[in-house]
Amino acid sequence: MSAELEPLQNNDQELVARTQGGDPGAFDELIVKYSPRLYGLVYHMTSNHEDTNDLLQDIFSKAYRSIVNFRGNSSFYTWMHSIAVNMTINFLKRRNRRQHPSLNDPDSNIENDPDFIAATSNGDPTKEVSIHELQKKLNASMQKLSHDHRIVVTMFDIQGIPHAEIAKILKISEGTVRSRLFYAHRQLQNSLHEFKRN
Amino acid sequence: MSYEPMHKIIKLKRYEQPPEGYYEDFLREFHRRQRAELLKPSLSALIMERLSGLIPELRVPAMAFAGAAAVAVIASVAIIRETPRQDAPRAYSVSYTSTLPYSQVPVTIQNMQPVSLRVDPSGLNLPQPPPQSSPLTFPSSYLLPARPANHESPLSF
Repeated sequence: MSAELEPLQNNDQELVARTQGGDPGAFDELIVKYSPRLYGLVYHMTSNHEDTNDLLQDIFSKAYRSIVNFRGNSSFYTWMHSIAVNMTINFLKRRNRRQHPSLNDPDSNIENDPDFIAATSNGDPTKEVSIHELQKKLNASMQKLSHDHRIVVTMFDIQGIPHAEIAKILKISEGTVRSRLFYAHRQLQNSLHEFKRN
Repeated sequence: MSYEPMHKIIKLKRYEQPPEGYYEDFLREFHRRQRAELLKPSLSALIMERLSGLIPELRVPAMAFAGAAAVAVIASVAIIRETPRQDAPRAYSVSYTSTLPYSQVPVTIQNMQPVSLRVDPSGLNLPQPPPQSSPLTFPSSYLLPARPANHESPLSF
């Protein structure tokens, strides 16, 4: 287990055992703990808030039904993320390609982020790009990626999950994770060249 | 563009968050869906419910089933007791005299002969064929049609 994920995974074993013992309140605690992280995972894959909400309900529902069979061979964190990834990719395969995005408004704190300032002004304050323009461009670039590439970018670049953990969740080698990231980044560079910084 | 600046741009997507209070509503919605799931009867439960609803409509007294079962058991025992013992196998074959015309002779094992062989007409009252003068004529024989025994029409099922 990586040091970054250790605090998140603390106490999971006990909550899982209590849920398996028939305490639904323990599963509520797991939902509260994991829903923001899993929301991000699904949302950045679908670019649609309503789809994310429905899918996240289904993901937790499936986890609740299956938790009796969870034997702890992997961490609950990995198990939960695997369910979310599989269900999201299955959903995306079924979804109509013409689906319009339904994006959440970025948090107002983005305006103070030095990376945002650097990316949008591009060294020239007169050529500032609006938040929504950047958001639209980022989502369009993400949606151009294949599901396999988008999932690694979401987990690594946006959510900060280490390579080794991504490999466990996706049941692939760490080398494959790095390779997919390399190709995904190369594709994103072409889409986002206008935000190139000097 | 090098990798690091692009990683920072993509990372800005983490600021896209659902509306405030979303996660509290999410938990409430989860509980509501779970309750609905529990209240939704399964298919087998629905079938059982329909069947249990149907039985009283038949107006059959409950004891009638027990009576019918007892009668069935007694009848089965009686039938088993009355069944005669079979000490020796019965012979079902019957011999027939060959005085009947050929067309009326019943087919039995004794009277059957291998196909494609000549039939000895001496034991049967068959009309004798007229004498042939030519040495090239063949004796009469009974042949099966040239069709395999397991042949089936392609249209038959």
